[in-house]
Amino acid sequence: MGALRIKFSVTITCLFALWIAGFASLPAREFLGIAPQDEGYYKSDVIKCKDGAKKFTKQQLNDEFCDCLDGTDEPGTSACPEGKFYCRNSGHIPQIIFSSRVNDGLCDCCDGSDEYNGNVNCSNTCWEAGKAARERLKKKIEKHQDGLVIRKQEVEKAKQEFVKEEVELSKLKNEEKILKGLVEKLREHKERIKKAEEEERLKKEKEEAQRVAETKSNEQKQLLDEYPEDLPERPHDKLEKTSQYVKDDHGDSIAYDHGSDHKSHEVPSDHSTNQHVLEDKDITTVKAGANEETGTKEVHPDDAADQVQSPETTEGLSREKLGRLVASRWTGELSDKQTKEHNDKNEEEKENHDFAESGEEENYDSYYHSDTDDDRHQYDDEDDDNDFQDDADEPYGKDEVEYDDSSYTDKDFTSESPDTTTGSLSWLDKIQHTVQNVIQAFNFFRTPIDISESSRVNKEYDDASLKLSKLQSRISSLSEKLKHDFGKEKEFYSFYDQCFEYKQNKYVYKVCPFRKASQVEGHSTTQLGRWANFEESYSVMQFSNGEKCWNGPDRSLKVRLRCGLKYELADVDEPSRCEYVAILSTPISCREEKLKELQQKLEDLNKSQPLAHDEL
Amino acid sequence: MTSPVRRSAAPVLLFLLLVFSSSVSAWKKEEFRSCKQTPFCKRARTRAPHSLPPFSVSDVSLSDGSVSGRLVPSPSIRQVTDEDPSADAAVDDTAQRPLLFRLSVYHGGILRLEIDEDPSSAPTPKRRFRLPDVLLPDLEDRRLWLPRLSSPSGVAATSFYLADGFEGILRHDPFEIVVRRTGSEGEPVLSFNSHGLFDYEQLRAKKEGEDWEESFRSHTDSRPHGPQSISFDVSFHGANFVYGIPEHASPSLSLRPTRGSGVDESEPYRLFNLDVFEYLHDSPFGIYGSIPFMLSHGTRSTSGFFWLNAAEMQIDVLAPGWDDSAAPNAGRVDSFWMSEAGVVDAFFFVGPGPKDVLKQYASVTGTPAMPQEFAVAYHQCRWNYRDEEDVAAVDAAFDEHDIPYDVLWLDIEHTDGKRYFTWDRTLFPHPEEMQKKLAAKGRHMVTIVDPHIKRDDSFHVHKEATEKGYYVKDASGKDFDGWCWPGSSSYSDMLNPEIREWWADKFSYKNYVGSTASLYIWNDMNEPSVFNGPEVTMPRDAIHHGEVEHRELHNAYGYYFHMATANGLVKRGNGKDRPFVLSRAFFAGSQRYGAIWTGDNSADWDHLRVSVPMILNLGLTGMSFSGADVGGFFGNPEVDLLVRWYQLGAYYPFFRGHAHHDTKRREPWLFGEENTALMREAIHIRYSLLPYYYTLFREAATSGIPIMRPLWLEFPADKETYDNSEAFMVGSSLLVQGVYEKNQKSVSVYLPSGASWFNLRNGVKYDGGVLLKLDASEDSIPSFQRAGTIIPRKDRFRRSSTQMVNDPYTLVIALNGSLAAEGELYIDDGESYDFEKGAYIHRRFIFANNKLTSIDIRPSTAGEKKFSSDCTIERIILLGLPSGAKKAVVAPGNHEMNIELGPLTLRKGSKPIALTIRKPNIRVADDWSVRIF
Repeated sequence: MGALRIKFSVTITCLFALWIAGFASLPAREFLGIAPQDEGYYKSDVIKCKDGAKKFTKQQLNDEFCDCLDGTDEPGTSACPEGKFYCRNSGHIPQIIFSSRVNDGLCDCCDGSDEYNGNVNCSNTCWEAGKAARERLKKKIEKHQDGLVIRKQEVEKAKQEFVKEEVELSKLKNEEKILKGLVEKLREHKERIKKAEEEERLKKEKEEAQRVAETKSNEQKQLLDEYPEDLPERPHDKLEKTSQYVKDDHGDSIAYDHGSDHKSHEVPSDHSTNQHVLEDKDITTVKAGANEETGTKEVHPDDAADQVQSPETTEGLSREKLGRLVASRWTGELSDKQTKEHNDKNEEEKENHDFAESGEEENYDSYYHSDTDDDRHQYDDEDDDNDFQDDADEPYGKDEVEYDDSSYTDKDFTSESPDTTTGSLSWLDKIQHTVQNVIQAFNFFRTPIDISESSRVNKEYDDASLKLSKLQSRISSLSEKLKHDFGKEKEFYSFYDQCFEYKQNKYVYKVCPFRKASQVEGHSTTQLGRWANFEESYSVMQFSNGEKCWNGPDRSLKVRLRCGLKYELADVDEPSRCEYVAILSTPISCREEKLKELQQKLEDLNKSQPLAHDEL
Repeated sequence: MTSPVRRSAAPVLLFLLLVFSSSVSAWKKEEFRSCKQTPFCKRARTRAPHSLPPFSVSDVSLSDGSVSGRLVPSPSIRQVTDEDPSADAAVDDTAQRPLLFRLSVYHGGILRLEIDEDPSSAPTPKRRFRLPDVLLPDLEDRRLWLPRLSSPSGVAATSFYLADGFEGILRHDPFEIVVRRTGSEGEPVLSFNSHGLFDYEQLRAKKEGEDWEESFRSHTDSRPHGPQSISFDVSFHGANFVYGIPEHASPSLSLRPTRGSGVDESEPYRLFNLDVFEYLHDSPFGIYGSIPFMLSHGTRSTSGFFWLNAAEMQIDVLAPGWDDSAAPNAGRVDSFWMSEAGVVDAFFFVGPGPKDVLKQYASVTGTPAMPQEFAVAYHQCRWNYRDEEDVAAVDAAFDEHDIPYDVLWLDIEHTDGKRYFTWDRTLFPHPEEMQKKLAAKGRHMVTIVDPHIKRDDSFHVHKEATEKGYYVKDASGKDFDGWCWPGSSSYSDMLNPEIREWWADKFSYKNYVGSTASLYIWNDMNEPSVFNGPEVTMPRDAIHHGEVEHRELHNAYGYYFHMATANGLVKRGNGKDRPFVLSRAFFAGSQRYGAIWTGDNSADWDHLRVSVPMILNLGLTGMSFSGADVGGFFGNPEVDLLVRWYQLGAYYPFFRGHAHHDTKRREPWLFGEENTALMREAIHIRYSLLPYYYTLFREAATSGIPIMRPLWLEFPADKETYDNSEAFMVGSSLLVQGVYEKNQKSVSVYLPSGASWFNLRNGVKYDGGVLLKLDASEDSIPSFQRAGTIIPRKDRFRRSSTQMVNDPYTLVIALNGSLAAEGELYIDDGESYDFEKGAYIHRRFIFANNKLTSIDIRPSTAGEKKFSSDCTIERIILLGLPSGAKKAVVAPGNHEMNIELGPLTLRKGSKPIALTIRKPNIRVADDWSVRIF
């Protein structure tokens, strides 16, 4: 026993000596666990507890007895449960650990300074760890920088789009007013004709045989019966005028799915995914076209002047895009270039950059990183490009019937009145003009009433009414959209049109911001939640009130947004029953503040670097 | 964790119930048999006292130092079949056969009564089942050899020595046994058959056309051996209350009468191990475990009665006046015991003190096993920690929030298709690595291993069990096939020692692939739970080893399974590593094999409340190492309930948070900083008290005195404590009062008389014998140190108890009126069996005459091995010392140190209120004294 104790103390002494040697730059024992900037506080002979509760002498500093309950007097020991221990970690970032970790036999600080009683020997790993940390940090900073560039463009675009749609909305409202007037006029006119006809009919009754009168009234009735047939016909006509693929998607997936909440039949099986995505892609392109000058150009090449100026021509690219799209049916690859044209350059640059800097390590690093950082599920830059496309280009209308209908009308409407600013006026003028003509042409004093004139009025009335209802539907969809909270800078504006997908084992998770989220397994779809709101200052998208869980809550999904160069959904998880969480990478969530914080961190890291290296 | 109904068709209905009426319990009353639906119970319960033709005693003699003889039924018609109670014609010879009895006396005040049929005149080859393996193997060595019998004058009776001050009386006609104090008054303590309710259905040959089958719902019990029930009355004299016979959920510590005058008749207390989905918080219904041991307590004495019988049992506690409402008995509690099968093998414990009774019971069924130290710390469980990532994240979050924990648990989902001993390799691809990562922080893991074995030919356990014929058989002799988590399942026959050995070998590192030395085991569903069986368990006519029917053994099935598993872990560690096995089912003696918990409770305030009387009754009946799921298994606790549960659960002997997998995550850091701090504080309290708890576990392991104790165990003379179900003692020094209501503004605490008490929050001293009303504090539940005690603590918090091994101690000394106090500290290596060879430190601290002395109380006979520790005492806190003391001097060495005012705990905001000896730094292993000046 005695011998054992001697041996023990010898070991301690040895280790202590070793420790002294190894950490010559570390503070003396009484300054253990104190941050350099805090050393001044401990200079005097009588020191106050930081909470002001009492005072202690210098001899009581780090004497393994807790005098201050806030731990002021024992920064370097485990004596105070509330205490904190500062490790210098030269070569890496300094760290503040719970005092409960001091001399507990586990190496916590990379410089090993938390274990000094000789029970364990911790090697100094700060240099290696610091190096790795710096690398990770650098990469992260780059990602944030690049992401911020994309973000800026997106925000700019979103702002413009938003303004544009606001303008459009107010314009549409004006048009609605005018059109309403016209429709009203036509209606009055129509009624007058009817009345006149009625009068004429009554008059003629006396003059003509009853059979003749009956024939006439039958003809009128027939006319009326034709109205409904007009309705479904028209959209098709117009769609064909616009573009085939729009029709495909909207026609197949949307218009005919009206009212169905679970469109399990159209959930892409593995086999059909590519094709489906392709179709989606086109729609989004068109959709983007509706929001962007480029797309508009594509669909309506004649129209130019009114739009926000387009930096690039898209005609050629869109052919390329088409080519890639078709090619990707076989290859499964899609390129960034296919959408978001103006991001392409940046993206490419970034990617080149990343590759040059990190090469293959990127992937590993970002995962390694994920253990400690709150940016836990970093976007993986190397991932297949087409993920972005898949995600971003989900047919926004697919799930949301109302919206689909309106966008349908939207296209229809816009295509028929190509120029939304000047063009719309001429369009309206034209109608006004026609109406005027029709009304004027009609001679009430001519008897009998000209039947062809009368049917012309009816036709004009029907046309105008249909137009009005389309217009109104577009107005309501636009207002619906614009009332959403798209963030302080409208930065999430483009999310409105997108869905993101992530495949995990047998499930495909689909997240459509501002609308809903679902989990698809084969042919069955489970609603994980409807859009609720952004939370935690736009870093979380909350979907709630999903399908009820057996013996559990209504399903819900929390999507955490992370800075990433691409849009990618990942890591869907269910930590509590039916409460899902997922990570979505997007450049929109790259923030200036965070970048600055990272840069500061790197700076701090670099500061302590050379010294430590020399020592080692 | 589990609920059988989940996978059946019932969930829909259940779900609707849950959704539409939270007040309506999901407990399905109709799925379980009531006494009226149980013929032996129904028949026995309706009998009036002395209505049966009596037995008389004959041929009394001393043989082998015990009293033996015959019980002769009265010649009148007495036996009737349970199917037709009025069938006088059903009389047969067997009713006239005498029974054999034996009365044996064991050292320490124990009387044993055995009554069985006479095999020499048996009409059938079937023998009644006597449950082996529960009584301690050395019990027979402690039997007293009675030298003589005497006959008291006046009555036909035989009397014999029982213990100093106690004698046994055997009355001959009618047959009655009385345990009484010796002396002129002969005050009775316990008596058997004083109300003439003793009945013994003897086995007999089946008659032509007779139908012995019993049906319940869709299940038919073939009952091949016919009726064989036993019933009798037991009276506890000088008693105010009776306790024990767990497991039942009740907010009452004492057993409330189930019938008698002035009492709403309820079901009798049922002892029948069952997996009950969402059990009620207040019901005499049987749940997971059974211990047929009842204790009584009154001002004059404490006594106990234990019936070793594993068949279904129903027990009535009879209200005074039940037998004669005109003359209600005072100071006596009568009870009525009924069992479906087995023999009478009963023990009377004379006390006279409460702790005497517990020691007497422990000397028959054993003391609780000494657990590993980590098992005394905090356990974190959930159904389920889903995968390795989840495990790593939860583990990391404990560190991030500076909350200690020692064990992380994996429920059934970790397995490959509920094949125990396997891993779902998608979720847990690297189980060894995962365990090693935890072990690197001194933490342990527990995985679940249930008794149902998946009937899958590619599963090696099933294959072997089938080939070797190791499964329990059904009534037709085929391997019994029931439904449980894995679907179609069979159950190994743990009654057979050979099969237990086989099972134990399954836990070797080689057989349990992916297990490491830091992995321990959880036995759930071992009632056994059979989802498609009668009352969710195994049919009574299933056949075990030696043609034993399941009905005869049912309540001990889980006991055997627990035993086999614990032995497996002992074997795995070559007999050097103490096992840790948590079981849900239990029987008398389970304390020797590990811990139990109160099963699938619910996240409501009622279940928080009943956890205390449940654990107290478990402790009284030997199962010291027990606890309730903190937070409640079913449902989502409101955060204040969760916090209160942590504050209370931190004092349970077994302290584990657990939750159903349909509930929200509820790890302590998920409810905001403030609540995290409250739960951290609660867990810290447990960790700081670990030295005290571990010392109490040692006391339990040597004496059978539980860790968590009803107040009356420590204050047997204070009547106010007898039915206190809200407060309890931890050891003899600490009193804890739970807070059981939402938004409770104030708490009433009864502080027992005969001692003063120090509030451990603020050091305020209170006199005992008062009902104290305190403001309910959010930070903690009221706790008091009894004056005259010394509690050892460790006030540094680590990641787990493992890292605290070398940390210094704090002694908290609460002085009584004579400025004296005593306490103990036990230390060993926390994991091996070396303590059995003497490798431990056991100190007694005595404070008297202004001097604190540490003396060695490890007996010199303890063994050759030694245990050493360099741990010191860093702080001595003195409560109740008149101020003025300035200095303390340690001997040897005459080292002097200061006394100053310090806080009671190192929590932020604690006021300096107690005299504190600063840094005495004396080694805990040494002899020393500290004198105060």
